[in-house]
Amino acid sequence: MKTRPMLTLDDCRKISAAAEAEAKKNKWNVCIAILDDGGDLLHVVRMDGATPANSHIAVEKGRTAARTRRSTLTWQERIAKRPELLMMPGVTPVQGGLPIMAEGACLGGVGVSGVQSHEDEQIAAAGIKALA
Amino acid sequence: MKPQLRAAAGCLLACLALAASAQQPSPLDVVPDKMPNDIPYGAPIALDRAQAAIAAAVAESKKRGWKLNVAVVDSGGNLVAFARMDGAQLASIAISEHKARASATFRRETKVFEAGIQNGNNYLITLDGVIGSRGGIMLLDGGKLIGAIGCSGGTGSQDEVVCKAGAEAVK
Repeated sequence: MKTRPMLTLDDCRKISAAAEAEAKKNKWNVCIAILDDGGDLLHVVRMDGATPANSHIAVEKGRTAARTRRSTLTWQERIAKRPELLMMPGVTPVQGGLPIMAEGACLGGVGVSGVQSHEDEQIAAAGIKALA
Repeated sequence: MKPQLRAAAGCLLACLALAASAQQPSPLDVVPDKMPNDIPYGAPIALDRAQAAIAAAVAESKKRGWKLNVAVVDSGGNLVAFARMDGAQLASIAISEHKARASATFRRETKVFEAGIQNGNNYLITLDGVIGSRGGIMLLDGGKLIGAIGCSGGTGSQDEVVCKAGAEAVK
């Protein structure tokens, strides 16, 4: 049988804290969501000042990245060229969602929402970096 | 039973039911003078306090060897913080958030719905956004509702114990 690593609650706390620190450093108020590889929620943090919508968007970005094993930026760029891909089920094609990869497997995804999309991704990347 | 007899018995039962309802008016027909559950909505709960509630709930759950999902929503019913403990049931992710949201938007514990439905008030099931299971508790600050905590993954009674431990941290 094939085995692979999986995220624990402690891992999630680590990722979330690093992402939050990156956001705080830039004085950004965002929501950070972490999901497992099936797209089920593991951890959410909505910083003070982030909007209610941010928690929904962050979860959907993270879910897209987790389930498709790709960044949501990839989807954004693909759809710019092929709008018919908007019909793909369960895809939120807005930058700010990254898959969490380790040992060649996708363990889940991180989604961030609250600032400009490339800044959202910067925060997500800072979070994932803390896991390594 | 013969058809005539059955009809007679049916009539008798209907008459009895009518007599009973005439004697005891439905409690749903009572018109109270004051608004029930008139708790004002306050500012949304700050992340620090939401995370303190989650940490306390997770600690209580861990102490007992349980694996639960814990969600905290703000005064608008939107998610502020969430944690899934290692090995917690997946269906309960949505349920924990639903319990928290229902508690915040209805301004009461979700246990009230559970009890109401158990008592035969089945109309409660038809109300938008209701969840008929304990484990959703309001978070108040100075008498105002700032959010709610919801727990799910165990029995309702287990969920409630952990929920209370979380809510305690916000007081």
